[in-house]
Amino acid sequence: MTLSILLHVLILVVALSGWSWNNSVKEPPPRSISARLVSSQPPQPEPAATPPKPDPEKEKARQQADEKQRLEEQRKAQEKAREEAARKEQEKQRKQAEAQKEKARKAEEARQKAEEAARQKAEAEAKAQAKKKAEEERQRKEAERKAAEERRKQEEAERLRKEKAAEAKRKAEEEKRREAERKLKEQQLEALAESASKQREAEQRRQAEEAAAAKARQAQMLSESEKFQALIRDRLSRAWYPPSSATSEMTAKLEITLLPTGELVSVKVVSSSGNTAFDNSALSAVRALPRFPVPEDQATFERYFRRFSIEFNPERLK
Amino acid sequence: MVLLATLMSGQARAELLIRITEGADSAIPVAVVPFSTQGSTIPGDNVGDIVREDLAMSGEFKPLAPERMLSLPSRSDNVYYRDWSMLGQRYLLVGELSREGDTVKARYELLDVNREKRLLGETASAKIGGIRQLGHYISDKVYEAITGVPGAFSTRLAYVTLETQGKKRIYKLQVSDVDGKNSTVRLRSDEPILSPAWSPDGKSLAYVSFETGKPAIYIHELASGKRTKMASFPGLNSAPDWSPDGRSLLLTLSKDGNAEIYKMDIATRALTRLTNHWSIDTEPSWKGDGKGFVFTSDRSGGPQIYYKSSENADPKRLTFGSRYNARPRFGPNGKYLFYVHQSESGFNIARMNLKTGEETVLTRTDLDESPSVAPNGRMLIYATKQDGQSVLTVISADGGANYTLPASTGDVREPAWSPVIH
Repeated sequence: MTLSILLHVLILVVALSGWSWNNSVKEPPPRSISARLVSSQPPQPEPAATPPKPDPEKEKARQQADEKQRLEEQRKAQEKAREEAARKEQEKQRKQAEAQKEKARKAEEARQKAEEAARQKAEAEAKAQAKKKAEEERQRKEAERKAAEERRKQEEAERLRKEKAAEAKRKAEEEKRREAERKLKEQQLEALAESASKQREAEQRRQAEEAAAAKARQAQMLSESEKFQALIRDRLSRAWYPPSSATSEMTAKLEITLLPTGELVSVKVVSSSGNTAFDNSALSAVRALPRFPVPEDQATFERYFRRFSIEFNPERLK
Repeated sequence: MVLLATLMSGQARAELLIRITEGADSAIPVAVVPFSTQGSTIPGDNVGDIVREDLAMSGEFKPLAPERMLSLPSRSDNVYYRDWSMLGQRYLLVGELSREGDTVKARYELLDVNREKRLLGETASAKIGGIRQLGHYISDKVYEAITGVPGAFSTRLAYVTLETQGKKRIYKLQVSDVDGKNSTVRLRSDEPILSPAWSPDGKSLAYVSFETGKPAIYIHELASGKRTKMASFPGLNSAPDWSPDGRSLLLTLSKDGNAEIYKMDIATRALTRLTNHWSIDTEPSWKGDGKGFVFTSDRSGGPQIYYKSSENADPKRLTFGSRYNARPRFGPNGKYLFYVHQSESGFNIARMNLKTGEETVLTRTDLDESPSVAPNGRMLIYATKQDGQSVLTVISADGGANYTLPASTGDVREPAWSPVIH
């Protein structure tokens, strides 16, 4: 707020002063004036007046003063006459001086004119000379410039030529390098393609072998699995005490999870028989096995026995 | 290869399904630890022993002998499951008794050994003299928890004993616990007593008594001892059977010439003749629906079993397997029929699946008679001969191990298993 006020004030002041500047009358810059009195004869110094000698006595002095006054008046008249004569003399001298002066001035003028003419002539001559010289100089310079230009052009041309040559050379080299690179790349690609194809073939061969092995292995795993399924079935059958409420319609489905050691991790009823005692009997049977018979082979175990389902359903009731 | 293995295990998840269609043919191993007693001693048998015997009698369990037990815990907190698992036990019953005045409390727990899980935990109580009932009650609970079927150990048996003292023959109608203990004589007679049959509420018995020199049918109220003669028609009065609603009796009477099946309304004593054939029709047994009944008839030349689905339906012959099939009794759900079946080895108890007609001989003894099924359908009692003496034997209803009831002096015959008594 304060700042803005200050700014406004400042602006106002600036504007006013500007306005006042604009309206002030510009004074022309003072010209420096130098004047010199030029005279051919220096002025004569005035002769020094002789001061009156004081009277030694008063009475006498007064008489002497009267005398003096009369003498003074007399001196004055004499002075006047002498002054007049001096003045006439002076006038005469002045007129003579003026005439002499005029004569001198004229002579000077003539001399000056002659001088001027001579000077002008000399000047013209010099000028002509200078002009000629300048022309010559100009021509010389022009020639020089032209030569320089020519040289520059030649140099430029040379440079361009060199550059072009260098460029061409560089290009050629680049081309060569690229070509070499391309060839190398091509070779590499070819090698790569060849190796890839070889690899592919090998891979296909390997896959075929693996598939065959896997098939054989699966068959083996299956037979292995069946063996252990039968073992588990047998163990569970012996461990299972179907409750007396069991009917052949009842089925309990359990999901069990085993460790590779055959130990039970968990068992849960995924589908109840609807009869708690029946479900319990199935759970108890599963829990009764301290260890499930499982294949040692890890893959077979993972495939079939890590987690599987068991259905308890008494087909044949006692 | 790693990927391959992953894929294989990925697709293989739960692919394998193993079906178990057969169970162990032997009884379930169960350990019943003798119950401990807290505080003052409690007179009577050990509850653990009672339960052990009950479970053994069912034929479905094989209790571990206490002397083989490594420890005798009475609470699940003190149970080391591994010990019991090592002994091959499936279930473990532990418990303790305490006495409060004249009440005995039994705190018991049933444990699943393999699953290390408690299946039951309860405190039951009984009067000081009812320690056996307490044991049977726990047996029922244990049995139901494991098999899914209610136990029948708290039910009762009726049977007839015969003692011979010189030339004198003494017949006694007795009622006992299912293990033969706690027996009481309800009727004593010098003349034969036959065919006791329980009323559906378990409060009364119907039977045939020759006490008057002639056969007559009585209803005997057990609590009061009150007896009512229901039928003493000329000729045969035999084989009474209660209808499921308890309002009528099926009887065999020969008052109209030869033995026929009649229905008697108990309140009005009105008779309805249900069979009419020149041959003998006898030993009727109601089906649970109260409409149909089975009976023995020799209309085909020898005794065979027939079924009438309603009072007016034509009898349908059910047995064909041998020359002699008699004394039929329905199982509680009507699914099975139990009867005496003559085979090459003699007379056995057989079971027929009425749906399929499949016949299974259940007993390995000889001269078996009078099958009677427990109300849960899981046990069967029948009379047979052992060392020349008549004894009662309990087997599991599907023919498992048998259990011979401790014989009192003399012959024991005509067993009848009571319904569940509330």
